[in-house]
Amino acid sequence: MNATAPNLHSPAAAISARSFAAGQSFITAVKVYWHVELFPALRAEYEHRAAAAAVKPESVDDVGRLLQDSTLHQYFGWFERHMQRFKYAGRYGLVAWHRQQRAELLARLDKAAAVELHPELEMPRYYVGCDIHQHPGGVWSDDVAGFVYERAASTTTPLAGSKHADLHDRFTDVIERACAKPKRVLDMGCGFGKSTRPIAERFSDARIDAVDLSAPCLQVAALDARNVRYRQMDAAATDYPDAHFDLVTSTMLLHEMPPPVIEKTLAEAARVLKPGGKMIHLDFYHFADPFQRFIHYTHGRRNNEPFMEPLAEMDLAGTLEHVGFKNVRIEPFEETDGALASDFQSWRFPWTVITAERA
Amino acid sequence: MHSPDPAAASSFTPRPEQTFFPDPSVDRAMGVIMALATEVYVMRDRQFALERMLAARGIVDVAQLDAEPSAADAAAMAADREAFVAHLMSSVLGMQASKGVTA
Repeated sequence: MNATAPNLHSPAAAISARSFAAGQSFITAVKVYWHVELFPALRAEYEHRAAAAAVKPESVDDVGRLLQDSTLHQYFGWFERHMQRFKYAGRYGLVAWHRQQRAELLARLDKAAAVELHPELEMPRYYVGCDIHQHPGGVWSDDVAGFVYERAASTTTPLAGSKHADLHDRFTDVIERACAKPKRVLDMGCGFGKSTRPIAERFSDARIDAVDLSAPCLQVAALDARNVRYRQMDAAATDYPDAHFDLVTSTMLLHEMPPPVIEKTLAEAARVLKPGGKMIHLDFYHFADPFQRFIHYTHGRRNNEPFMEPLAEMDLAGTLEHVGFKNVRIEPFEETDGALASDFQSWRFPWTVITAERA
Repeated sequence: MHSPDPAAASSFTPRPEQTFFPDPSVDRAMGVIMALATEVYVMRDRQFALERMLAARGIVDVAQLDAEPSAADAAAMAADREAFVAHLMSSVLGMQASKGVTA
């Protein structure tokens, strides 16, 4: 008899590709219902309660108090937290499925040559302390984690389509308007390359560098490297020379880092940019009202993204000017047609474009 | 609302449970229900696939499968359905089958 404790994370009995796809499609369908039905119903209930309140809710805490005894809000929170858990963990979760395919997936990675890894790189404590997105082990610790994240991201915003093509194309349009012909581009926190590829396509003559902490993600990115050099590096402390790039970008990176690291990363962007160079981030910062802010902060907690709230509370414009930027612009981003219209009902992220010029 | 101390990664509790309902047993029961619902959907999907394959080989008549059951079929199912419902619902009455210990 083996005397070791039972391993709760041991591989489940093998499941078929069809069963995995069916389980995931069910989980996604429940999430879609949450986006398009539960969320508008919750907003309607909130507005009803707010209208009846003696004092108009102005803060996140005010909104929380108004919804404290709402049964609908309890279910809303439960489904947000636990359908994400089911997406990753358990019998039909992404982790079990990809571990089942481990040998085949690792054989694919063998072909990804265009990546520079640094196994000696120490992962920051904030990065290893919390499994973001409820991805067990995080996006970095398992050698198939890049594939897990890639598959997971295809249903992160189920209303926007599996490739986020609309979102990334629109963001690339914004980048091109700010910086038409960059020769050298740095994409910070590139993950498995989803944000980098549309930029590399648009600026096909440019030399693109893309950095991330996660080796498994970089290896997946490098399967389709094009004009991109993928390198394992902390965006807050790169090895590029001063005044090297015309353009520095990131997509959904800042909210995964604590404010001191955000500030360090922005300062690093300033250091590696040429004077007059542009920095453009797509992240979550602009809120239409306290309800949207409350929804975002609680989303961060339920999705294991503890720095969404601290980022949203930062004085980003002040920080950017402090680290060497001018002409700072912080603007809501319309990720799909009509997303910023007052009659847009479904749950959405508070997408925001942050643009600045190296002073 | 509170912000986690970003300097102290150790403030992250390993795999904390988040609860949303006044009684946390509801949170856990919801997990059981949604796991079952996922399983039901996986089975529905497999049944759909099987029916399509059997129909393609002429083994199953999907139109007949989808039609209301004949009187004979309905009668044959009645006893099974009643037994299923009795088993499903009897827990609500709190009645026990065996003599024994009170709490």
